[in-house]
Parts: sequence; C-alpha cells; structure tokens
Amino acid sequence: MTAPWHPAIRADWLVLRRTGPMAWVRVLGPPVLLLIGCIALACGDLYAGYAWCLAAAALLALGGACGIAHQRLLDALERWRFGWCGALPIARPAAASTLLLSATAALVASLAFTTTLLFGIAAPAPQGGDLPYAVAAIDGALVAGVAVAAIRVLRRGALARVHHMDGIREPLLALPWLNDPRLPHLLDWQRRAALVRWRRGGSFMAVGIVLAAVPIGAPMVQVSALVLLVLSWSWLTVVMRASADAFISAVRLLAAVPWNVRSARMAALRYPLVATPCALVFVVVGAALLRHGVVVLLWIVCTGAASAWPLVRLARATRFADPRA
Amino acid sequence: MTGLLRATNLRVAYGDVPVLDGVDLTLARGEFVALIGPNGAGKTTLLRTIAGIAPLDGGHIDLDGHDLASAPRSAKQAIGLAIDPPGLPALLTGRECLSLFAGARGLPTIPATTLALGETLSLMPVLDRRIDSYSLGMRQKLGIMLGLLGEPPLLLLDEPFNGLDPRSALAFKTHLVSLVARGDTSALLATHSLDVAERHATHVVLLMDGRVRRSWDTAELAAMRENPQHSLEKAMAGACGT
Repeated sequence: MTAPWHPAIRADWLVLRRTGPMAWVRVLGPPVLLLIGCIALACGDLYAGYAWCLAAAALLALGGACGIAHQRLLDALERWRFGWCGALPIARPAAASTLLLSATAALVASLAFTTTLLFGIAAPAPQGGDLPYAVAAIDGALVAGVAVAAIRVLRRGALARVHHMDGIREPLLALPWLNDPRLPHLLDWQRRAALVRWRRGGSFMAVGIVLAAVPIGAPMVQVSALVLLVLSWSWLTVVMRASADAFISAVRLLAAVPWNVRSARMAALRYPLVATPCALVFVVVGAALLRHGVVVLLWIVCTGAASAWPLVRLARATRFADPRA
Repeated sequence: MTGLLRATNLRVAYGDVPVLDGVDLTLARGEFVALIGPNGAGKTTLLRTIAGIAPLDGGHIDLDGHDLASAPRSAKQAIGLAIDPPGLPALLTGRECLSLFAGARGLPTIPATTLALGETLSLMPVLDRRIDSYSLGMRQKLGIMLGLLGEPPLLLLDEPFNGLDPRSALAFKTHLVSLVARGDTSALLATHSLDVAERHATHVVLLMDGRVRRSWDTAELAAMRENPQHSLEKAMAGACGT
C-alpha cells in the first residue's frame, strides 16, 4: 500500500523549522509583499475612487500568485523527484496530491490574510460599499493564479522540460572575448543560470506588475513603453541574482584552487556589466515612447535598489580568501 | 625526498562534536599515503582541511613551505583536490569546467596532460556535453581531471574510484602510480578500498574517532604483500580492536 502523501513534505517542514527565522522570511516574504501590494492598490479605488486600481490589483494578484506558485511547486516537484527521496517508491498521484494540498493550504492562508486585511483597512473607506467586489476580485485572481500554476506544473513533461537544460540556447551572436580569461566561462555560467531562472517564473511577476501599472484606456504606445521598462528591469534583476548565485557556486567549486580574488571579482562583474547597457537600450526606447526622460532616472534607481543585495553577495563571496597571499 | 605536507595537531569540530582531535601528518614528495578508517572517522574532513576549505579550530598546516593560514594562495599552489561529483556545475560542459579551472590556476589553456588523462579515462567523447547529462562515473572522471589539472605536487583524492568502471579504475590507478613513481608528485588518498591501499600506497594511516590510531610504513606494507597470511584488512581489524 502506498502512502497518499509524499513523505518528503515532513522533511521539508523539519528543515524549514530548524533553519531559523531567515528561512521563514524567505518563504513568507514574497507572497506577503505581493498581497500587501494588491491591497494597497485596491485602496486607490476604495479611498480615492480612481476606478482602475481594483482591476490592476486583481491583475497583479493573478500574475504574482501564478509566478510565485509556479516557481515553488516546480522546485518542490523537482526536489522530490530528483533529490534524496527520488528513489523512494512514491506513487505520482501522492506527489501530486501533496503539492495540491500544500498549494491549497497556502492559498487558503493567503485568502484569509487578504480578506482580513482588506476589511480591516478599507471598511471605513468612502467607497466601502465596493469592498465585497474588491475582496471577490483579488481572492478570485489569487485562486485563478494558483490554479493556472498548478495545472502548468502538473502537466506531463513540464518538469522534464525545465530540469534538462538542453533547451538552453547559445547566443545568436557568440562573442568569446566577453569571457574573462582569468575565469573562462564564468560568464557563460552566469548567462545560463539567468536563463534558467527567467524561465522558472521570473517573467511572470514582471507581467503582473506591468499589467497592474496600466490604467484602463491607456494608449497603446504607453502600454508598450511600460512593458519595455518593466521587463528590462525584471530581466536585469534576474541577471544580477543569477550572476551572484553562479559566482558563489564558482567560489565554492574553486575553493581549493590558488586563484586571484581581485581578478575573480572583476570577472564576476563582467556579465552584469555587459547586461546593463543591453537593458538600457530598451529603457531608452521606453522613455522615448513615454516622452519622459525622468523615467530613465527612476528605472536606474529601481534597478540599483534591486541589484544592491546581489552585488553585496557577489562582493562578499570571496571575503574569506586572502587577496594579499 | 623533501617535505611537502606537514600538518600538526589538527583540531576540527562540528559544533560540539570533535571530528579531528590532534591529528599529525607529514608527507614527502614521491609518497603515496592512503588514509583508511571507518565511516565518520574524519578522512574527508582531514582532506578538506588540508585543502583549506574546512575551517580549522586548531593546529597548523604547512604546504610546500607555505603556511596555509597566513599564505593560502601560495600554499594552495601545492595541492590539487579532486572535486566531488555533486559539486560540479551542471550548466557548464566538461571542457568549459576544465577551462575555468585552468584560468583560475593561471594557465592559458587546458594542459595537454589533462586532456591526455581524459583520453585515458575515455571522457573525451562527452567533454563537450553539459555536466547535467553526465553519469556518476563521468562526473567522477571529470572531478579527478580537475584535481590533477596543472599537475600540482600534492593530490588530495577522496574515494576517487567510486562510480568508475573497472577499466577506467585500472587506468587511473596506473596513471596515479606512475605519477608518484616519477618522484615529484605525492598522493593522499582517502579510501575504503584496502586492496588499493595495500598494493599501491607507500604509507597507510588509520584514522579513528578523529585521531591517528595506527600507521604502516613501506616495509610493513611490503611484508604484508609478500606474506599471504597477513593483510591490511586483518591489520586494520586488529588495530580497531574488532
């Protein structure tokens, strides 16, 4: 008789409990921020009567929930199928039902959080009569987003497509000189890591955010400009995080090798430095379409804020190595 | 033979659990030292400590005349650590990974000797495939090639024969023995394969509970090989008290 649930769920729970508070922050942070963002956006309608904020909040909830749920369900499924418990005789329906149960539990908690917070904040609002519609729109979007993510993850072959990295394309225009000769192929490693991460759901959040930012009836040119700006921001953020992760892995891999730390840091910065002007091309086009130069400045501030922590991690990765030696 | 490794009074603990407790080990050029012992004896930790990738709670490591704590880069010039298969980067090809290591070691290209070892181990046909698609044995071979890249004087090998097919294992043993026989390379091998230790090692060290329990020198090992009544397996069992 096979178990109806995947036993790794208990191990995952124990690991989470024993890892400390930062693990909880990493798990709960993104969804809580998403839900608070949706509620804040919806309050634009309820308090100020802007008339388009609720639609934007619902779209943000849809895109955000789908992105977060897709990435987490896929990670769990991959860990269970190819990790330490991969050889256990667990029926596929058990893994699927455990995933669905986890997703449902997280969804119910999210719905409760959203509903409670929205009623608590917006009940005394001038447009408080629309509160049930706001709750229904955001909660419905959350349900739809998680459902779409679950269907995508549980489709036959979905995991194989992500797990096997054969689909990673080489650049159309190969530029071997971009690789730093002091750490050859680190740039390739960072580029491929960014591509894998982008395909895992990095773009879904961006789509949700850009749609949320579009007012009803906005001109197509402005919508295109916003899409360019947000997608380039999201892509560069993914590049920064993937570059830091790949470099940290490279530092671990080369820990016993007598390398030059300063050169290594410079090599690790090469891909982010190449990617930034590429992203800026789209930003300049977007700013030109919007006819607002200040947008470029705003984009740089947002990107700088999102890139700060990955760059700190990248710099700290070699802190135990002694460059003087 | 000149001194290559001098480790004195090494102490390492994971939390409150001591893993190495006052280990002394010396190794000269041209020596092949096998490190044996039960699971959890501290063999892997000792290798990682000598490679400078595990924190040391006490003691001193000198590699080819350089103190590992105060001059890690100079000291690490002397070592080559075979990389564990799970630690290899899945997103790179085998050749890209070798190239990365060569660059980090300051070499302009992958040395011809490393590629020749790849031929010996039959890894060349898959060297341009992503590591993600490699079998355990292929990853093990690549990890060995990475450790031997640039022919560092001291090779640190942790169970390098795991996952290797018999033909590749024999080819690698032969290669290792010939490298050591040249006199400018030494090997420190952590293994459970007592036959490899008995046949090929110049010294064998038994590690138990984080301490060196017993060691056998060249003459004692030669005596074991000559007398079928004696074996390293029996000697180890006797030393362990079982």
